[in-house]
Amino acid sequence: MTRQQQQLKRFVQFTHLHVPLERDVFTYLGACFGIGLAVSLLLITLVLLLTTPVRADGMPDSIQHGTLFMKTEGSSERRETPLLHTDVQLKITGLIARAHVTQTFRNDSDTWVEGVYVFPLPENAAVDHLHMQVGTRSIEGVIQERGEAKRNYEQAKQTGKKAALVEQERPNMFTNSVANIGPHDTVIVEIEYQQTLRYDQGDFRLRFPTTITPRYIPGEEPGGCDDGDDDAAPEESEPGVSASAEPAIVNTVSDAARITPPTLPETIKINPISVHIDLDAGFPLQRIDSPSHAIVVQKQDGRRMNITLADGVVASDRDFELVWTPQAGSVPQAAVFSQARDDGIYHLLMILPPPAGTSNVALPRETIFIIDTSGSMAGTSMTQAKQALAMALERLRPTDRFDVIEFNSRTRVLFGSARYASLDNLQSAQRFVAGLHADGGTEMAPALRAALDGRAHHDVLRQVIFLTDGSVGNEDALFELIQRQLGDSRLFTIGIGSAPNSYFMKKSAEFGHGTFTAIGDVKDVRARMSALFEKLEQPALTGITIAWPTDTTLESWPRKLPDLYAGEPLIVSARSATGSGEVSIHGTRGLQPWQATLPLHGGKTAEGVDVVWARAKIEALHDQALAGLDAAQLRQQVIDVALRHHLVSKYTSLVAIDVTPSRLDTDPLHTHNLPVNLPAGMVYSKVFGPLPQTATPAPLLVLVGGLLLLCGVIVRLLATMA
Amino acid sequence: MNACKHISAGALLVTVLGALLLGNGMYLYAKAQLAQLLLQNAWQRTLSGEQNVKPWPWADTWPVARLRSPAHGIDVIVLAGDSGRVLAFGPGHHFGSALPTQTGHSLISAHRDTHFRFLQNVTLNEELQLQNTRGEWHRYRVVETRVLNASNVEFATVTQQSALTLITCYPFDALVPGGPQRFVLTALEI
Repeated sequence: MTRQQQQLKRFVQFTHLHVPLERDVFTYLGACFGIGLAVSLLLITLVLLLTTPVRADGMPDSIQHGTLFMKTEGSSERRETPLLHTDVQLKITGLIARAHVTQTFRNDSDTWVEGVYVFPLPENAAVDHLHMQVGTRSIEGVIQERGEAKRNYEQAKQTGKKAALVEQERPNMFTNSVANIGPHDTVIVEIEYQQTLRYDQGDFRLRFPTTITPRYIPGEEPGGCDDGDDDAAPEESEPGVSASAEPAIVNTVSDAARITPPTLPETIKINPISVHIDLDAGFPLQRIDSPSHAIVVQKQDGRRMNITLADGVVASDRDFELVWTPQAGSVPQAAVFSQARDDGIYHLLMILPPPAGTSNVALPRETIFIIDTSGSMAGTSMTQAKQALAMALERLRPTDRFDVIEFNSRTRVLFGSARYASLDNLQSAQRFVAGLHADGGTEMAPALRAALDGRAHHDVLRQVIFLTDGSVGNEDALFELIQRQLGDSRLFTIGIGSAPNSYFMKKSAEFGHGTFTAIGDVKDVRARMSALFEKLEQPALTGITIAWPTDTTLESWPRKLPDLYAGEPLIVSARSATGSGEVSIHGTRGLQPWQATLPLHGGKTAEGVDVVWARAKIEALHDQALAGLDAAQLRQQVIDVALRHHLVSKYTSLVAIDVTPSRLDTDPLHTHNLPVNLPAGMVYSKVFGPLPQTATPAPLLVLVGGLLLLCGVIVRLLATMA
Repeated sequence: MNACKHISAGALLVTVLGALLLGNGMYLYAKAQLAQLLLQNAWQRTLSGEQNVKPWPWADTWPVARLRSPAHGIDVIVLAGDSGRVLAFGPGHHFGSALPTQTGHSLISAHRDTHFRFLQNVTLNEELQLQNTRGEWHRYRVVETRVLNASNVEFATVTQQSALTLITCYPFDALVPGGPQRFVLTALEI
């Protein structure tokens, strides 16, 4: 008998002996287990003790600050980046706001720097002036074609002249480049813009964005057409050009580098901002409030008011929002504002259709909810989105059908096809929603494709409700997808978070024949959702057309008028030669026709109506490009109107250049991209990802396992020999 | 005699436990190696034009690049995403960083004890090679190696040229996972 056989025999005898005595077996197994456990614990402790010194010796002093493409807190790179302070002065008159945004760049370093600051503005801002303040001199910016402006700026930069260049990246995102800021010097850049205010359900709303939610750049890499060449940037391929051939969804964002400024973690707040508003509402006000910031309201003479931030200066980490409500009945149902210029008379028309009186609750509805669960939604945004969705689910009636779609890097559909809002189905939806958590990318296209089926539904009202922060860089591709796939569904966007991409949210809703609602804070969820339900449950005014006075030169924008939901006014601008005649407006609500007539002349005169018109024209041209307008034609038409009206557009920029050089050729110039704050409530590591855990327990397992095995074998051998 | 039996049985349990742990550890190593074999096929299909090829039906990742270190005889398929599930099978590309070989900053992480063990022997100016999904090979030169604290670092996402940063846990010979330090290697396209 070999030793092994002996062992085996002993083992068999051993187990055999003890089987009948149950109590003994348990005591015995317990004891064995105890011994085993004790030995393992001992070993693990030993291993940990042995390994800890290794970790401690691991070059703790060599942790570096500021390396090539990495920054750690306190790195020198950050000290060299120019500091920025922004001051916003807003003058509001009726429907129009004019803003002076003053950006002060301070260079605290000993070198010459160029600061490049990507900043947000309201999605309908028309930027029309630029001043650069150097010492006591003020240099006025000129409007030029984008390529030309960029060349002039670059030349000034090379020759040591101070210069500022404002370029448009998106209708709500601009870049201000400031060259040759001297050591310990300050350059002040003032940008002026105008915007039309939103009047909705009896409230006027103003949003001033202060930071940029990091944009997700989906899918494939850029086709290499744009390698940062100055002139190439504005002429990137328009999705509309290839619209005739069935396009594989264009997921490229060729200007990705221009719309992704560095973003700071939530622990650091920079770019302080102050806000002063001079409000002349034109009506007696019932209420004025800011859902986003604490404000101080001072009454001036008559109805004018001064509004400032209670805290004076705040971190630019969320949109500033101001809401004012005129007293009931004080706002006229229709108004015309006019401005005479040498090239014609400009008009701005506002008409508020009367309330519907009926509801479409009787119609069977199919509601598809899409909820964005990407990393940028992590934090307070997710709480808001979940609450809003839960509220919307409660509102469904048993005869309604519904489905829920969530997406981040992947799309997940709850049912697959819409189901009745039975108690069971609602419960599983509420569980689904409660279990959602935010992480990963923002691949929006598959989710939209899943929700929009491109079909007509004659027997049912199909509404798609889309909750997102809109933080994507491929807006145009998505607009195109919405237009193509919409069918007769209606897309309602709900903007979530402290700095949603309002441009994307508003235009998506427009292309989706729906409307946009913003929720900036958890405490607003109930009120804003109720306002949306009102719109969802009343028939919209559709098929709106305007008959203008017979005037061959009359040009009105937008041409394609949006559908109007409860409490939304129609706002349209026109340029005419004579400024006389009558305008009649037709539309249909449910099955009821609606019509209104008003005279063009005799309205109030107002400033800035021409800018509203030009801005509306540029926006409409871009919309036409998505529907197939030739890219070269679009570019030329936009340039024409933008140059005439001194507006920054996708193809035109404002540039201000000092006359005398201030930097010597021998001094080097360093370029810094100014970082922006992470919007309040967002979680940095969810957006940019934490560094992953990059070690497996395999070495530990192998070591401990091996030692235990060895130990066990030795002990058994010793026992055998004894 | 009785005590002897007890000791003997205890030793047996310890042996079994040891074998289990050892097996578990070996399984992690084997998974890292075997997955790479399975990934070869998925990579070939990717190169022939298929998109987001799942290497096995239940995979939640797909190959995005192939990384070679001629000096150390390393040739691995890089996967999309850098969650723990992905890193068990291969180096993972960080979603949101530039795609490998694209202009910008591409971040790739892997375990120090499997796919990126070789990083401890990489020296400055050494060459790394990266193949993208179109089959093009790009060459990179190592310009920097650092040890950083994982909780206190941010990476540039936009760079003027194609930059590649490889990340793994540090120190290389530590046994316990979950340490705060990272070995970070940056290479620029040649």
